Amino acid sequence: MIQLLLLPAALLIALVFGIPLIRYCWLSVHANSVVTGLVAIPNHGANWLRLFNDERFWQDSAQTARFAFVSVSLELLLALAIALLLDQRWRGRGVVRAITLLPWALPTTVMALGWRWIFNTPYGPIEQLAVLFRLPPLNILSNPDITWLATVVGDVWKTTPFVALILLAGLQTIPNDLYEAFYLEGGNPRAAFFKVTLPLLQPYLLLGLLFRLAQAFGVFDLIQVMTGGGPASSTESLALYAYLNAMRFLDFGYSATVMIGSFLLLVFICLFSWLVIYQTRHLRGVFK
Amino acid sequence: MSLILENISRRIGRDWIVRHLQLEVAEGECLALLGPSGCGKSSTLRLIAGLDQPNEGRIYINGKDVTSVSPVNRRIGMVFQSYALFPHLTVAENLALGLRVRKISANDQYQRVASVLALMQLEDQANQRPAQLSGGQRQRVALARALLRDPLIYLLDEPMSNLDAQLREDLRPELRRLILKDGQPVVYVTHDQHEAMAMAHRIGVMRGGQIEQVGTPQELYHQPTSIFVASFIGRPQINLLPAESGIITAIRPEDLKLCTQGLSCQLIHREWLGTSQLWLLESSRGPLRIITTGDTSIPNDIQLTWLPEKEHKFDASSGLRCN
Repeated sequence: MIQLLLLPAALLIALVFGIPLIRYCWLSVHANSVVTGLVAIPNHGANWLRLFNDERFWQDSAQTARFAFVSVSLELLLALAIALLLDQRWRGRGVVRAITLLPWALPTTVMALGWRWIFNTPYGPIEQLAVLFRLPPLNILSNPDITWLATVVGDVWKTTPFVALILLAGLQTIPNDLYEAFYLEGGNPRAAFFKVTLPLLQPYLLLGLLFRLAQAFGVFDLIQVMTGGGPASSTESLALYAYLNAMRFLDFGYSATVMIGSFLLLVFICLFSWLVIYQTRHLRGVFK
Repeated sequence: MSLILENISRRIGRDWIVRHLQLEVAEGECLALLGPSGCGKSSTLRLIAGLDQPNEGRIYINGKDVTSVSPVNRRIGMVFQSYALFPHLTVAENLALGLRVRKISANDQYQRVASVLALMQLEDQANQRPAQLSGGQRQRVALARALLRDPLIYLLDEPMSNLDAQLREDLRPELRRLILKDGQPVVYVTHDQHEAMAMAHRIGVMRGGQIEQVGTPQELYHQPTSIFVASFIGRPQINLLPAESGIITAIRPEDLKLCTQGLSCQLIHREWLGTSQLWLLESSRGPLRIITTGDTSIPNDIQLTWLPEKEHKFDASSGLRCN
């Protein structure tokens, strides 16, 4: 039975992924809070009913989705440009490749603190620039309309290198022959980008998109350190809300419901993006 | 139609990849560039295609100097070793891509692709992707693309190296017919001497970025101008006898004959090849290879002789022919 060799891996996945997931599903249909004396009591879907009527949950969903889509789109665009640049041969490319990866190697909490300082009012460099140009104070981290953009900047800065690395690996799988054949046929570099590079890079773009979408949708540490979800919950993410329910309100049952709810949303979003891209590949409208 | 390379050299850093190359390919002629890997044969092909620029020398296609002409304007039909088919496009789309970027009308595109698909017997594969094709079919698609280019010359870079041995032999006559049918000069790069002999009118043997000898397969075999060519062409390899007063004598294995009074040898190993057999012998003048007929039995006392006119003599220091 050669399949037995898969058992250790299967067990590991069951332990670190399956069991917590089942446990949370179970917990999401129980009341388990300070009120119940931290004992799980079945409450017949009352948690789920509460979730559907919880405005804060839906607002956080919208905020999280906005954060995820905007930062992942920016990351893909920037990373594509960086990957194309790093794929060319030029002097000092190796050094620049190493430097590009640095933001990604930095712990999120450390770099989030850095960004918090950069956006700090009134001492941060951004506010200092505003003073220099005689602008009114920007109050970036205390204005509910724009604070989320600051978190997007932090996320893009941190994870663009990761996407660039995936795309660079993808670019290097494209044989040079294909470009040469294309040029012999009369193609120019611009056409080569749209007719050779982009279509062949598509699986890597998709990979980067799904990886990053899943990560950005579950964002926690960056928001927690940079804004704590504020001001006025305007940057609160779903993960942060689930954390608050468990650790501040000590409502473990409802926290599990928020967790499973956002998990289902994420699965839906990933499937949807994958389907959209998979379909366009067959329509061939985008890359042709 | 003709192709002329005049004193072509290319250097990467300090190394000369191609050096002082002179070559002329006439209308309807197929010239094979043959040599071990790293000898500069593929580099020469890239220079002709315009994918690389020579540091010295000029290239003429049909009498026109194209040295500084871009690859696309040289009108080259090239078959790459990897075939360089676009994996995300179907066979028909692969073939149409070039026509489309050259702004040929949709109607013309369709007709030309359809006719080349018919010519190459690829109609059933028109809507398949390269990954779904066999090695032989991929090669035909690559060749079809070159034909569609309506080229002034054909360049083929090891077009058979991704195919298995039987298929290679089967495809040779058809490939030769297709590339020669319109009379364009053909440059065919290979490291396989059998393929070079089967495909080409003339062969240029390359070594260290230079052409060692150009000639018909018969000339290369019977009148090699250097030890390198003598040992590179012909299998089993030519016998090299140790130098005597600065002259190396070489003799082909099939020119050695058994006799009763000659060079005495011991049998080391015997390979039976069907109609012939190869004996590896040890003699007072070093190891020797001899080809005998398949039914020859091994005598108790092996004595060898050969006709003096079958000897090739080379200068030991320069390696050049001296008889």
